[in-house]
Amino acid sequence: MNLFDYLRPASVSDAIAAWQPGAAYLGGGTNLVDLMKTGALQPGKVIDIARLPGLDRIESLPDGGTRIGALVKNSVLAGDPDFAAAFPMIAEALASGASGQLRNAATLGGNLMQRTRCVYFQDPHSACNRRESGNGCGALGGDTQNHAVLGWNDACIATNPSDLCVPLAALDAVVETQGPNGRRDIAFADFHRLPGDTPERETALEPGELILAVRLSSNAAASYQNSRYLKLRERTSFAFALVSAAAALQLKDGRITEARLAIGGVAAKPWRVPAAEALMLGQPPDTDLFRRAAAVALEDATPSGNNGYKIDLARRIAARSLALAAAGTPTRMPALPASVFGESAHV
Amino acid sequence: MDKAAATHLTGFTLNNAPVQVEARVGERLSQALRDRLGAKDVKIGCNAGDCGACTVLVDGAPVCACLMPVQQAAGRSVETLAGLAKADPDALRLKESFQHHQAAQCGICTPGMMVSAVALLRAVPEPDVAQVQDALGGVLCRCTGYRKIIDAVVGAHAADTLQESTQELGAPARRFDGLAKVEGRDLFGDDVAPDGALVVRVIRSPYPHARFTFGDLGSFEARPDVVAVLTATDVKGLNAFGVIPGFIDQPVFAVDTVLFRGEAVACVVGEADAMLAFDPADFPVIWEPLDALMTVPEALQGGAPLVHADRPGNIMCGGFVACGDADAALAGADVVVDGFYETSFVEHAYIEPEAGWAEVVDGRLHVQACTQATGMDRETLAQVLGMDRADIRILPTAVGGGFGSKIDVSVQPFLALAALKTGKPVRMCYTRVESMQSTTKRHPARIDIRVGAKADGTLTGLTFHGDFNTGSYASWGPTVANRVPVHASGPYFIRNYRAQSRAVHTHCPPSGAFRGFGVPQSAIAQETAFDVLADKLGMDPLEFRLKNALHDGQPTVCGQVFEQGVGIQACLEALKPAYDQAKQACATFNAENADVKRGVGIAGGWYGCGNTSLPNPSTIKAGLRADGTLVLHQGAMDIGQGSNTVIVQIFARAFGVPVADITVLGADTDITPDAGKTSASRQTFVSGNAARLAGQALRAQVLQQANASDTAEITLNGGHLHVVDADLAHAVDLSRLEADAEGYVLKAVETYDPPIAPLDENGQGIPYAQFGYAAHLCVAEIDLKLGRITPVSFTAAHDVGRAINPLLVEGQVQGGIAQGLGMALMEEFIPGRTENLHDYLIPTIGDVPPIETLILEIEDAHGPYGAKGLGEHVLIPTAPAIFNAVYDATKVRLMHAPATPARVRAALKEAGYV
Repeated sequence: MNLFDYLRPASVSDAIAAWQPGAAYLGGGTNLVDLMKTGALQPGKVIDIARLPGLDRIESLPDGGTRIGALVKNSVLAGDPDFAAAFPMIAEALASGASGQLRNAATLGGNLMQRTRCVYFQDPHSACNRRESGNGCGALGGDTQNHAVLGWNDACIATNPSDLCVPLAALDAVVETQGPNGRRDIAFADFHRLPGDTPERETALEPGELILAVRLSSNAAASYQNSRYLKLRERTSFAFALVSAAAALQLKDGRITEARLAIGGVAAKPWRVPAAEALMLGQPPDTDLFRRAAAVALEDATPSGNNGYKIDLARRIAARSLALAAAGTPTRMPALPASVFGESAHV
Repeated sequence: MDKAAATHLTGFTLNNAPVQVEARVGERLSQALRDRLGAKDVKIGCNAGDCGACTVLVDGAPVCACLMPVQQAAGRSVETLAGLAKADPDALRLKESFQHHQAAQCGICTPGMMVSAVALLRAVPEPDVAQVQDALGGVLCRCTGYRKIIDAVVGAHAADTLQESTQELGAPARRFDGLAKVEGRDLFGDDVAPDGALVVRVIRSPYPHARFTFGDLGSFEARPDVVAVLTATDVKGLNAFGVIPGFIDQPVFAVDTVLFRGEAVACVVGEADAMLAFDPADFPVIWEPLDALMTVPEALQGGAPLVHADRPGNIMCGGFVACGDADAALAGADVVVDGFYETSFVEHAYIEPEAGWAEVVDGRLHVQACTQATGMDRETLAQVLGMDRADIRILPTAVGGGFGSKIDVSVQPFLALAALKTGKPVRMCYTRVESMQSTTKRHPARIDIRVGAKADGTLTGLTFHGDFNTGSYASWGPTVANRVPVHASGPYFIRNYRAQSRAVHTHCPPSGAFRGFGVPQSAIAQETAFDVLADKLGMDPLEFRLKNALHDGQPTVCGQVFEQGVGIQACLEALKPAYDQAKQACATFNAENADVKRGVGIAGGWYGCGNTSLPNPSTIKAGLRADGTLVLHQGAMDIGQGSNTVIVQIFARAFGVPVADITVLGADTDITPDAGKTSASRQTFVSGNAARLAGQALRAQVLQQANASDTAEITLNGGHLHVVDADLAHAVDLSRLEADAEGYVLKAVETYDPPIAPLDENGQGIPYAQFGYAAHLCVAEIDLKLGRITPVSFTAAHDVGRAINPLLVEGQVQGGIAQGLGMALMEEFIPGRTENLHDYLIPTIGDVPPIETLILEIEDAHGPYGAKGLGEHVLIPTAPAIFNAVYDATKVRLMHAPATPARVRAALKEAGYV
């Protein structure tokens, strides 16, 4: 591991004041500490924000919304009964991610900042434009089974690995931040960036800007009876998604009055297509409708290598998550959250 | 701030006692606990949050100590297994339950499992299976297959009611070395070095093929943080190691050219803190990357550059077995099936990375490290160092899983060279990445198979050609090449047979020994081809196998005739009830489900125990001291499989006293004779026989002292030895006998070497004295739309000849199935790409379904009390059984392992599934 300075500021403003180019904020450490060990990240200064006061609360807002502090642990959020009842697919996504040990350490803010699992990014000996601008992309033409099929370009074909971010995208979460220039809100759709010309910039955060909280509106909770997160992975637990989908519906008189669909594992950000959602409005829930919506959602997909199979799978996970959402949120968290298999298959 | 000197004084409570550590900034809690506070019960498997071995409770919540900077623990309560195991009521129950259910095999994951389970039990005193799977999902185990861990946690609340079995041969005795494992006291490779030992770091190639030159090593070695640098010029003996005579080809340090990514070119030795801060990129080496051959087709292409100049065509060696006229038989067969199969590199993924330490004591070299083969380690070091074997002592640590890879040396030559050069104690522990880059793998195979039968289902002929990617150096590649043609028929009667194998060099890490030595790969091709053949014949796959199963008195494809002990038919028949029931249940399930289908798959397997047509002796020593102490020198390495228990049970039976009367001395080349390597399913069979002979010989000496008959009973009581013969008791006064240099008044040293005979040019001969037999049944579910396969249950029938310890038999079977499942469905090592345990996936606790183990005991005339080896046939039928279940459900043949969703979808699509 490289050598670095370590400090633990007492307040958010102290933390931001301490930031300088090359510094990194440390929350739960589950991602940063690992990347520092491999050498993929080498911050000169680590600012430990894990104990900043006031950022570890789940609050109900006067307007009926919910505000989650950036330092709320994944396990705490998934296990909060009121939160899980209002946002079951967020709880399911959290519970399906990583392991109990990691969920006890990982924070909400850290999850939003999670770096890609692209092995070329992880390996300091491979070319990677994300690690270092202008370095090239080792993944293009390499092993690309897990890479993007949407929103990629020749500069970068990496995907965002987060489970949590997929339902947050579907539910139009808002990210509250504070930086050297003060506080601001960032719409979730704008938070993660596609590679474009600056693949090294993965989020909309400005240098030194710190996530304070994530807000969800009361409307985001309105689909609580019909929402699911579904995830396809190569082993039953403790694995990143090959593809995943978060689906939330509001139904009235047998018709869909609101549809939300976000797809994970396919791009550098959770993928949402307004046209796919619009297509379902006013329609009765139906597998054929869901199939068509999923097809529209994946319309622009192209393989970035030998990963064309993901397009089919993403379409199917999307359609299936919509069908499961229409069938109703399970009354309790499934034994294997977000699994594509029935519970009896594993126990 | 001076970064190099930056430390923080951090205080927290460790197991309820206040502690303070002066730790470097960002130092991991795991490291501070182990190195500064002596908490060696916190194990480190991956240092990346992927294995959970380092799980501790921080304010009651299980977290990976390896991902928590120690400063974040300030003011908090940290609990580890060693503390919990003393007084925590849940931990006390788990201790009992883990031992009773044999939830700990090698024991390296046990602290992580138990600490996680304590947190669960505090919240949910009587958890169900799913809750256990969720709570323990972040701790990887490579030995047990998890089901016994689930049983132990689910059953922990009832620990007070558990009855301990007797310890005699045949009883499901708790492992004799189990208590230390569940209390976090077992010491593994990285747990034993003395404080202050220098640390050795290896400089490795980042390229699979490159030329290199060193820069100014002199000034580098003069750096204040560097104590010594080692390169090839420091190797005084032969700069090569290997395991097969004639194939000693892997340099300790490469010279000029590296042949795989991760190959060592030098070592740097320094003080521990300096080595923590050391950046290998500072080492003066200049690389010139060269084109690399990464696959067998590339290496076999005409004009391909040679990996080794003296191995034309990049072919290292081959194997061949033929009998009858296979081509004519296939031409005349009523039905023929052929196919091309591919498998991938599989990583052993034991949770304990290679580690150890060394020092020079009175001119002799002591090396203590995790190993499967103390005797071979000593031979190798003698050769590399140019030293006399007698000047080298190999003292193994507990081994946190081996599965074949720890038969080869890893850290040992580096430690030895560093200790000799510096004259000081030195230690090293591979990082997970180093371990995965540089140690051996299961060979990827490319197999063409053709098999034919008569219309009545009688197998008539089989041809097999397998090319195995043996990587850059030989390791156990020749063994794989030899074994595969002998086994590729499966345990069936085939009179016309031709099987050929080739080990092909590439610029990949060396492929070597991995549970089954190539047979799991060949079994995938052969056993799945059988199901297609049975299908074409309109026969039930189980009936087809029963019809062709090898019987006593029939020759194998090597012309070897066993007059007794052939157990495949018994294994297959044992599956029949489960098979009929599963067929019925699947039919019902499939009638109700459109996108998800279930199928039943069966596969058989066999495994020749011990070396193929080569001498393979084990020696066991035992003695009686004048004070009546009965000592067993047990040198068979226990890598979790249980030889510390089984060998003792056998010896106790042979000598005729209870296990409790025996003092066991574990492996140590200074005090235990060579019991050979722990490989090839040989320890119970070969070392077990040596233990039996030693027990019998020592018994005979005692009886002679008392002039008693064979049927006499020996008792050892408080130093008094009595022999009761025909109701007459004789006291044997051992003190009147003269003691030898070791203090023994009576002693027996016995060697057993299995009877084998060489194979001729057609592979005809006697390759093994015995085979173990197995048949697995798998019910698997396949999602037709998503290409995901999940096994629902296994029934595993294993003929072990005689179950010396049925509890350990079950442990081997369940653990083997988990490895077979991983190989079938998820495990694919890609050099340079999957060098950690989150990109390389092994099964988790959620992946292994319930396993019913059916133990068959078709006694073997050569085995100790009839026992046969088991360690490898546990795995051989697993992957084909899963694939056959998918075939049963879909009629789609899976021919590429692992069958990931991408591959399964491709196969389904090709078969016309949308």
